[in-house]
Amino acid sequence: MSGTHGTPTTAGPTPASVPPQDTPATGEAGARPEAIEAIAETARRLLPEDGVITDRARLRTYECDGLAHYKVTPALVVMPETAEQLAAVVRACAEQHVPFVARGSGTGLSGGALPRADGVLVVTSRMRAIREVRPDDQRAVVEPGVINLDVTRAATPHGYYYAPDPSSQQICSIGGNVAENSGGAHCLKYGFTTTHVTGAELVTPDGDVVQLGGTAPDSPGYDLLGAVVGSEGTLGVVTAATVRLVRSPEEVRTVLAGFASTDHAGAATSAIIAAGIVPAAIEMMDALAIEAAEAAVHCNYPAGAGAVLVIELDGAAVEVEHEFGEVERLCRDNEAFEIRVATDPAERALIWKGRKSAFAAVGRISPDYIVQDGVIPRTALPEVLRAIADLSESSGVRVANVFHAGDGNLHPLVLFDDAVEGAGKAAEEVSGAILDLCIGHGGSITGEHGVGIDKAAYMPKMFSDEDLDTMQLVRCAFDPDGISNPGKVFPTPRLCGEVPGRHKGAHPLQEAGLAEVF
Amino acid sequence: MTDRTVDSPAVPAADLVDLGMPSPHGAFDEHHPPDAALIGDCVHCGFCLPTCPTYALWGEEMDSPRGRIYLMKEGLEGEPMSDSMVQHFDRCLGCMACVTACPSGVQYDKLIEATRNQVERHHERTKPDKALRSLIFALFPHRKRLEVLRGPLRGVQRLGLDRLLRRTGLLERVAPQLAAMESLAPRLGRREAVPPRVPAQGQQRAVVGMLTGCVQGAFFPGVNAATARVLSAEGCEVIVPESQGCCGALSAHNGREPEAQDYARRLIESFEATGVEYVVVNAAGCGSTMKEYADLLRDDPHYADRAQAFADKVRDVSEILAELGPQATRHPLPMSVAYHDACHLAHAQGVRAQPRQLLRDVPGLELREIAEGELCCGSAGIYNILNPGPARELGDRKAANIVATGADLLVTANPGCLMQVASAIERSGHPMGMAHTVELLDASIRGMSVDDLTTTRNTR
Amino acid sequence: MDQAVRSALGSACEELRDATEADAVDGVVPTVVARPGSTEQVAEVLKAAAAHGVAVVPRGRGTKLSWGRPPARADLVLDVSAMDRVLDHAAGDLIVEAQAGARLGDVQAAVAEGNQRLGVDETVPGASVGGTVVAGTSGPGRLALGTMRDLMIGVTVVRADGVVAKAGGRVVKNVAGYDLGKLVHGSYGTLAVVTEAVFRLHPLPAARRFLTVEVDDPGHAHRLAQAVLHSHVVPGALEIDQPAHGSARLTVLLEGIAAGVAGRTETAAALLGGSDGGHADVAVTEEPPTGWGRYPWQDSGTGAADAGATALKATFAISALADVLQAARSAPAPVDVRGSAGVGVVYAALPPGTDPADAAATVDRLRTVCTGHGGSLVVLDAPRAVKDAVDTWGPIPALDLMRRVKDQFDPDHRLAPGRFVGGI
Repeated sequence: MSGTHGTPTTAGPTPASVPPQDTPATGEAGARPEAIEAIAETARRLLPEDGVITDRARLRTYECDGLAHYKVTPALVVMPETAEQLAAVVRACAEQHVPFVARGSGTGLSGGALPRADGVLVVTSRMRAIREVRPDDQRAVVEPGVINLDVTRAATPHGYYYAPDPSSQQICSIGGNVAENSGGAHCLKYGFTTTHVTGAELVTPDGDVVQLGGTAPDSPGYDLLGAVVGSEGTLGVVTAATVRLVRSPEEVRTVLAGFASTDHAGAATSAIIAAGIVPAAIEMMDALAIEAAEAAVHCNYPAGAGAVLVIELDGAAVEVEHEFGEVERLCRDNEAFEIRVATDPAERALIWKGRKSAFAAVGRISPDYIVQDGVIPRTALPEVLRAIADLSESSGVRVANVFHAGDGNLHPLVLFDDAVEGAGKAAEEVSGAILDLCIGHGGSITGEHGVGIDKAAYMPKMFSDEDLDTMQLVRCAFDPDGISNPGKVFPTPRLCGEVPGRHKGAHPLQEAGLAEVF
Repeated sequence: MTDRTVDSPAVPAADLVDLGMPSPHGAFDEHHPPDAALIGDCVHCGFCLPTCPTYALWGEEMDSPRGRIYLMKEGLEGEPMSDSMVQHFDRCLGCMACVTACPSGVQYDKLIEATRNQVERHHERTKPDKALRSLIFALFPHRKRLEVLRGPLRGVQRLGLDRLLRRTGLLERVAPQLAAMESLAPRLGRREAVPPRVPAQGQQRAVVGMLTGCVQGAFFPGVNAATARVLSAEGCEVIVPESQGCCGALSAHNGREPEAQDYARRLIESFEATGVEYVVVNAAGCGSTMKEYADLLRDDPHYADRAQAFADKVRDVSEILAELGPQATRHPLPMSVAYHDACHLAHAQGVRAQPRQLLRDVPGLELREIAEGELCCGSAGIYNILNPGPARELGDRKAANIVATGADLLVTANPGCLMQVASAIERSGHPMGMAHTVELLDASIRGMSVDDLTTTRNTR
Repeated sequence: MDQAVRSALGSACEELRDATEADAVDGVVPTVVARPGSTEQVAEVLKAAAAHGVAVVPRGRGTKLSWGRPPARADLVLDVSAMDRVLDHAAGDLIVEAQAGARLGDVQAAVAEGNQRLGVDETVPGASVGGTVVAGTSGPGRLALGTMRDLMIGVTVVRADGVVAKAGGRVVKNVAGYDLGKLVHGSYGTLAVVTEAVFRLHPLPAARRFLTVEVDDPGHAHRLAQAVLHSHVVPGALEIDQPAHGSARLTVLLEGIAAGVAGRTETAAALLGGSDGGHADVAVTEEPPTGWGRYPWQDSGTGAADAGATALKATFAISALADVLQAARSAPAPVDVRGSAGVGVVYAALPPGTDPADAAATVDRLRTVCTGHGGSLVVLDAPRAVKDAVDTWGPIPALDLMRRVKDQFDPDHRLAPGRFVGGI
């Protein structure tokens, strides 16, 4: 990203943490060409010619997702068009003991779709049929490559929409959303992807196709769907999802309030929540983030604001009217110096455009940056923001803050210039310290971007060995050979012990002393 | 901080060395390779993907702006210019929808143009490909040659031979690109000459030069005539230098840099002599290239400054009309109009609001938006001739969205779009009227009827 | 159970006693009951049980012990009712942390002081929060607020081998690691023992109105339900109550600020009032109609079976409401139906004394309709004779994967063995 370098060294946001070197996470140990060729052969029999990619220039375009700092060239890319094709490819991987990684639009911010050098990248962007839209059942059935926003576009004529709205909703795919349990600004009121998926067709890591959940909620048996959503592709590949459609609200009111400081904006947020109002969204941006958004999309936020809140209220018109009055009063009570209300869809879109493009827009004010995704209890907001400001001041590293204030999900953007010696390291330290702050306040290391490869090393700070081991029991049930997106989520792979009929001798990682049988 | 790049062990990483400069063995030479700093602006967020026509068609990373930028980066890092790499650059329509969509401000337009110049220098094309390109560039940038075609084309059309030929599917099988070219040929109206000078009516507000263009001039002479009339009615004295030739847009967009530069120099000379305040263009593709002349001629010490001065004067006709504000009376045109954004107007020049405003100013006119409006119609200069398959898919998709508006008339501001969309709408079996923005304004100012407009250039 | 085992269990927690008939789990009387006072003690008990191959059935308040299938083995009932504290109500963060044995009602009372609520109905009187999670019960409010599946944001469990593990945390928004909470939700104690949990809360509404209307037939109920769902009245609940005999009624709950509820009440009443324009037949009340938030069967306090009733849970695509109601009306046994018409989850009761063959035929009929409409039918509870005559769980897709999960968590199959799907 640094313009001063002759050759670009970094494209995109840089990672939050540095994973231990020599992890087996990326599969550097080496591909087995004959196994890869066997899988490619299977794929060629089933897929159109251009759906099987083996030449290096093309393969390399898939070497990173939205977190471009991590790069691994996959050994093979396949682009199935049907669940059957995808299952056949996965089955071939299982037979060859070759790892695979699923990828949708490649917009993830935790490196969750980082390929394996010894593995297959299964790209779902050609599985993009919206199979059904059933407003009377408040459901749609969509394939994994369908773009999030396209679900809403398909439901809108019926008066419905798909509620989870990650900032990248115009391009991120449902498959990726399901894998990451994606959130978004409106999750404060409406919940995350997991709340909005009632069924999924899953290709298990051994290549079987199973149906989890369905149209109706509460399928009998273990809630495997609940485990799969948010499992970051480590339990298989979803080839269709049944999603909930939500009735479009009668009234939506989007308010933009300018404050002198984040303290004031934070106090206003607390006051709104304390008043018993559950807005559809409360988003905060600080001065630096506003500057970036302004540069990118000319969103015309209040001049001179130290912080803005974007508050959206939706629901029945009379309620929204009342709540709007309350919100306006509470903002003024907390010294909002300017309050603007969107009067038409275009104005609403402009307010949101500033917020939703904020991450990428930071590229306009800094050559390099790290996007963080920590969560804190909302009441800790003022304290943590002050601590971040102190960190920034003492380290000299600029931090722009964009976050979902309503649910305490922080997205500090740690700015630096990689061309400056040591700047990257300083930024990583600040970024790591922010995560420590979140953990210290009883929060989480990721609210919506996922653990992926980027934060796997942080998992032990949040969870005990026992916690992680217990989670990996699920992994062992689904994927005893550990071929579905290995190296993500967990810092150390758990070997699944002997499963009847699956004995294959000591695992190479065990032999290498990199993992142990629990 | 360094990259943790890990290459597939099947190909040793050792042969890819980050030299901090373009590699002598990579895809590009040292004459303006795609700029590493501009490539570095891409944060890989993917916001460009949904707006990219080829990504919409195929869902492949390599056929998206993000993937193409990645291929450029690979080229800078030492990856050779392989056939597959070139294929993905060639497939880019150059619609620049990604430039509009990019929150990080990546200048993909500059990157792809630089890359195309490199491709033309270093990539050996197949013989048929070369022959087709030679034919295109021997024909399209030359209005006189195009005009020679008018006669036979009108004859063929009048006899219905074109329809007959199309029904046989013969040309499609033998030479799909030629078939594409044939199917794009518009229904030709009568020739309308534009005098070299048109005086301003009423109070004179500006002296403007007017580009007549190659395809516009030969195939849509009515658009030029309407442009001159509207400008004149709005108080502009219009100068139409007879010496003007091609603007070089097609050449510039296809990597034929020296050819484009020659055209640019000659055009600058033609207009410099007239001393006009503005150079008005009614073809989006031409206008966007002319606004970039400074970049095109940056290495030419004799022309760099003149190119900048010239580029500063270039305005799309809708821009200048919006800038001046309406002076002539608009008469009502009670009809519904779907406005199609030409990519080189909306994305490359950022001109979206002005044509819409001009249309809304016409009493009785109802403006309708087209779904997936940001998506290219597949025309893209000569793309639809070089890549008839994807162009046709995009054309059909665009036609379906246009027809879905239920509008009486389609309005757009580029001859390429008009030809492409006309042929797609014809295939769709839902014929509708089409016009350039200025033709509609012309009709309103002159008090013509809705029927005059919808029948003048109906699709076949 | 030999003395060594008993003393190992006894030293693991402060309270161990011999079991009585009253401790029976669906008719299976255990040997001993352990009543640990903390997560650590639960872990110790489970470690001891693991060391000695003791089969364990976890118990909260014992209100649903006869649900599911009878356990294949039950040596020890692990009673968590001593762990009944509300640990932390962080009102500003809208969360509450409670021990598994805490009564749902007590938790509600605690958070109500902060003008908040845990958005799940107490469908089984006296139930613990842990039992509510593990049995996956819910009531009318799920239309707007979801179930424990959606409300539980963090959980502490003890595995069959005594290992204590946590998942989730104290923040609502959190995607770090697998969501083990979802797995234990509705797992009937077969996967791990829940000891503590953190729930998200919602503000208590300032006003609420219940609009109740009698419906002529299942088709009418369906049309009204769809009209309400497609409207902008934002219902907090949409319940159907169709007794086996007599007319059925549909109730819409509207919650929120007073002015808003008043306005929406007008709109909803017009929707429910039918084509004649008047809404004289729509009863608007501040208090819920009888039976609101309770299952349609008589509950003895230890499950439906003890009162002789057969308890069913039916799920289906929302648009299939009429078909399900019709199937209930025309079933061989009389069927009382009550539940969330707006969600596609209703409960059904067959009266005490129903002939097992009729019960089985009724289950089959309803199951055919429900599975045909993307749902399922489960026999939650029934007298032993009925349980023996029916397929309790019905078809379970992905059962093999579920067995694999069970094998990982409880390889010796000692946690509530046999109570769950497929004999898990």
